[in-house]
Amino acid sequence: MLKYLASTIKDFIILSRDKAGLAMLFLMPAALIIIMTLLQDSTFKALEEKKLPILVLNYDKDTFGINIVEGLKKSKFFKVTEQPDIGEQSENELKMQVAKGAFQIGVVIHKNATNVLRNNIKFNIVQLLPEKEDLIFGDEPLLLQNAAKIESYFDPITKNSFKQSITSALHEFSSAVEAKILFGIYSSLFRELLGMEIKNKANFTNLVEIESAYASINDEVIVVPNSVQHNVPAWTIFAMFFIVIPLAGNIIKERESGVSMRLRIMAGSNLPFILGKITTFFVVGLLQAATMLLIGVLILPLIGLPQLIVGDSYSALILLTASVALAAAGYGVVIGSIATSQEQSSIFGSISVVIFAAIGGIWVPVFIMSETMQLVSKFSPLNWALNGYYDVFLRNAGISEILYYVAMLMIFFLICICIAWYYNMSRKEN
Amino acid sequence: MDKNIAIEVKELSKRYRNTETLAINHLSLEVESGEIFGLLGPNGAGKTTIISVLCNFITATSGEVMINGINLKSDADNIKKIIGVVPQEIALFPNLTAYENLRFFGNMYGLKGNILKEKIIQLIKTFGLANKAHQKIHTYSGGMKRRMNLIAGILHSPEILFLDEPTVGIDVQSRAVIIEYLKKLNELGTTIVYTSHHMEEAEKFCTKIAIIDMGKIIIEGSPAGLLRKYSNCYNLEDVFLEITGRSLRD
Ligand SMILES: Nc1ncnc2c1ncn2[C@@H]1O[C@H](COP(=O)(O)OP(=O)(O)OP(=O)(O)O)[C@@H](O)[C@H]1O
Ligand SMILES: [Mg+2]
Repeated sequence: MLKYLASTIKDFIILSRDKAGLAMLFLMPAALIIIMTLLQDSTFKALEEKKLPILVLNYDKDTFGINIVEGLKKSKFFKVTEQPDIGEQSENELKMQVAKGAFQIGVVIHKNATNVLRNNIKFNIVQLLPEKEDLIFGDEPLLLQNAAKIESYFDPITKNSFKQSITSALHEFSSAVEAKILFGIYSSLFRELLGMEIKNKANFTNLVEIESAYASINDEVIVVPNSVQHNVPAWTIFAMFFIVIPLAGNIIKERESGVSMRLRIMAGSNLPFILGKITTFFVVGLLQAATMLLIGVLILPLIGLPQLIVGDSYSALILLTASVALAAAGYGVVIGSIATSQEQSSIFGSISVVIFAAIGGIWVPVFIMSETMQLVSKFSPLNWALNGYYDVFLRNAGISEILYYVAMLMIFFLICICIAWYYNMSRKEN
Repeated sequence: MDKNIAIEVKELSKRYRNTETLAINHLSLEVESGEIFGLLGPNGAGKTTIISVLCNFITATSGEVMINGINLKSDADNIKKIIGVVPQEIALFPNLTAYENLRFFGNMYGLKGNILKEKIIQLIKTFGLANKAHQKIHTYSGGMKRRMNLIAGILHSPEILFLDEPTVGIDVQSRAVIIEYLKKLNELGTTIVYTSHHMEEAEKFCTKIAIIDMGKIIIEGSPAGLLRKYSNCYNLEDVFLEITGRSLRD
């Protein structure tokens, strides 16, 4: 314990005297955050405001169709164009427009969709009633009608995952409209038979909102943060991983200076020293994160940018930040252990962090990368960290929701430590 | 009277990874308690390698080392406490002050509080560094660094002290202080194993000398004994050249 504490204190003193190193760890990311946020502000705004062009052909022109079209129009997500109904040809025209890429999605609401819907609801009600009541809705017995109400077409280049979410969103949305119609039928039935008025009608009709569908689209495919919500966590993570360079440099310097020989002879194991270093740089990582987030919250609004919103769960934020700091420290230790010279470690360290950053969506957000690159990004610890921050900042995720990323970062840390351990042992054997 | 053996080395060999030759070649030696044992030899003879194995910094390829009767391989932890090492290179933190360095190394030996503080102050005074105790090591001169390097190895008063060229590259005054102090330590009971390229110093300082080359002991004995044996030689340096030849080494 004494060894560990002494070692930690020593590293703190040494680091605190390394003015250039500290400047790199704190000023560089601060500058990057401000510059990159300003640079990308308009790009992100465009991205955020980009609506999906959708072409709608409403053959129905009754409750169902009208509600769907209105709902789509109200949504912030779609830019709705209506295809005029000029008979049979209209649907072909719509398909062509979509195939051409003029619209990303085409939606056809079939003729009589409302009627089919009403008929089927009534049919279902009749099924529940005793047989003698089967003519409650009219003179003729009802038959179940099997007809699609709504159909969607996609631009051929649309990604599969995106298609699925749009389809399920439309499905969810149309169910809501169905529920509204169902309610209408029930309430008129009640009035007729029992002379009762159902309360809370307003609640029910409001149910039809595209927002629910919209939200699920959000979850699946696109979380579009603004420039601040992306750049602040992104460059914070980047800076935290940049401790690799001073940390690995520190390890190699000690090894080269013969100090580590002295230490190994004294202590046998170099575990206390490694732990001391990890502690020191872990704390530095936390300080970096705190500084950068404060810049996001306090400084950015002063220069006309949106304020950083850090979400509700401070415990999740702290847990995530701690695991990022540990992962970065672990990476520094492993590079310091493998590299044979200062030059090697700083070149390899900085290049690898930059590559991890690039594929991890630090420079260019993952959601605008190609599908292949999105897959590759999953291999970057910086990406796990960034996704964790997105979840905490944009989705108000709590601890349980970011546990996956925390676990990945911790596993990365442990693997690093094991590799470093192996290299240190084998040095003695040489 | 039964001699007290401090260090016993049997058939020790060391081959560095990816090398052909043995840096230590089936070497056996004994160092008695209270001796000042000089390991002399040309560059690359294997002196540093021997010291590194003896203090368990690197592992030997084969052979056995006993220190104070304790087997190095099986019980290194107990040996650690009784040995001290002064490496050939300056092994100090350049960005820490002398005091901070020594406090850290003292902590590593389990020393702390006032005991450590007093020990540091006493040693710093002895070696004439008192007024620079709170300056960073990288501002020190070569001689001051050497003296600090020595202090860091003896803070914990080891029973056996390994010194790898403790007096290389320093002025006459520093050399005198270091040798005087080591003699005093030896009188108080510390066994010393020491390497040097300075034959005159070794001749005066050591009670026993081994001349090694290519990882092997060529000859060993007391300085006086060696001079007697090579009666044609005027001093130890001549003996050294006679034994190891005049060719240059790696
Ligand atoms: N880490 C290493 N890897 C491979 N070979 C080594 C290593 N260290 C030393 N050697 C080799 O082992 C031999 C002995 O080296 P050593 O450093 O023990 O010599 P030395 O007697 O201390 O020399 P000097 O007087 O120059 O300090 C030399 O041939 C050297 O090249
Ligand atoms: Mg040497």
